[in-house]
Amino acid sequence: MSDPIYTEIIIDEAKNAHNVGTIENPDISQHDANPMCGDDITLQMRINNNEISDIKWHGDGCTICKACTSVLTQMVKGQNIEFAKNLKKEEILSELGLQHLIKQSPVRIKCALLSLKALKLGLYSYLAKKIENSSSVDSLKEDASKLY
Amino acid sequence: MKEKGAKLEYIGVDDNGELLLDQLDSYLETGKVKLVAFSQMSNVLGTITNTEEIINKCKKSGVKTLIDGAQSVPHMKVDLEKLDCDFFAFSAHKMLGPTGVGVLWVRKNVLETMDPFHGGGDMIREVHKYETTWNDLPYKFEAGTPSIADVIGFGAAIDYITTIGMDTIRNHEIDLTKYALEKMSQVKGITIYGVKDVLKRGGVISFNFHDVHPHDVATIVDREGISIRSGHHCAQVLMERLEVAATNRASFYIYNTKEDVDKLIKSLEKVAELYKL
Ligand SMILES: Cc1ncc(COP(=O)(O)O)c(C=O)c1O
Repeated sequence: MSDPIYTEIIIDEAKNAHNVGTIENPDISQHDANPMCGDDITLQMRINNNEISDIKWHGDGCTICKACTSVLTQMVKGQNIEFAKNLKKEEILSELGLQHLIKQSPVRIKCALLSLKALKLGLYSYLAKKIENSSSVDSLKEDASKLY
Repeated sequence: MKEKGAKLEYIGVDDNGELLLDQLDSYLETGKVKLVAFSQMSNVLGTITNTEEIINKCKKSGVKTLIDGAQSVPHMKVDLEKLDCDFFAFSAHKMLGPTGVGVLWVRKNVLETMDPFHGGGDMIREVHKYETTWNDLPYKFEAGTPSIADVIGFGAAIDYITTIGMDTIRNHEIDLTKYALEKMSQVKGITIYGVKDVLKRGGVISFNFHDVHPHDVATIVDREGISIRSGHHCAQVLMERLEVAATNRASFYIYNTKEDVDKLIKSLEKVAELYKL
């Protein structure tokens, strides 16, 4: 029998998702979507002294997408950018007992990781804008290439 | 299309997904229509299009017709000679055949006016340095080495289903669809799309269950042993018209039984249980 996906934790997390809403004049606003299935979310962040002082999200998606987005926002809120940049997919998935999706469900894993993708895309675009010299551009690029 | 300056227009559908053919009349009256393309059976709602009526109207206006038969040909009897359209397409993988091959039938006198759209072996009769002449029909359109094994497999699939009989298949699906529509419409929280009359639809049933996302429904019932499709079914324009992001779709073929329908309904109870609906 396959590992459970639709546990009470996940369904409750999706139904009562955290950090839903919008931020006015956010420092980062990143939209991303899975065109094949219709998951569609926007993550917004306020950055203060290299810290994600606030994060909110809105959009539409399936239970897996919503639950993972909710968990992700709770994990990075109040943390510094470095922590969020290094967040691994396994850390999000294990929070909800969904590590098995990596091997067992190439389709649904995209729902689970959409918010992480948006988070990293948003952070890297933000960091890229603040960069002054080209050597740090290279290290940022190298960093980004290791993401998945 | 942009290159040719062609303009694409749509014929709308009513709330049940049936084409509003009055709109076709207005388009034809403009005298600007070159081609009318439509599917003979919707792969989302199962709606069977009134194909003869559309073709007759188009012929009266001298307009060519292209029919997508990918959903109809596997599930009902289709007589191309009687239909008398100009283009007709269908796919092997929808009728127990291999993937990657299909049929594009074109009326011969139309084909004769067309140039090849890509090059390769077999399509050419004479090759000179600065001039080539095309081979006879159908070779000039069949460039390159064909997918021989798949085409033979496709032939075997056609033989198989025609031995069963297209009317037998259609009747089996009418039975199943009728049974499924009756049973499914009793399920609390279900929304079923499309016409209710089983004689006007094929064996696919699109539905939504409460506000559970179709991908979640599909994954849960899959784990109960029932495979359904979820998503936009490559029909985003129709999804927009139905005002949904996606639907679930149960589809039947010759191997399905009423027990499968019962099992689907039972697995929906599982969805309701998990989501405390
Ligand atoms: C009605 C209809 N037309 C066309 C297609 C596409 O066929 P193919 O994938 O063989 O191009 C499909 C499904 O795949 C279909 O359901």
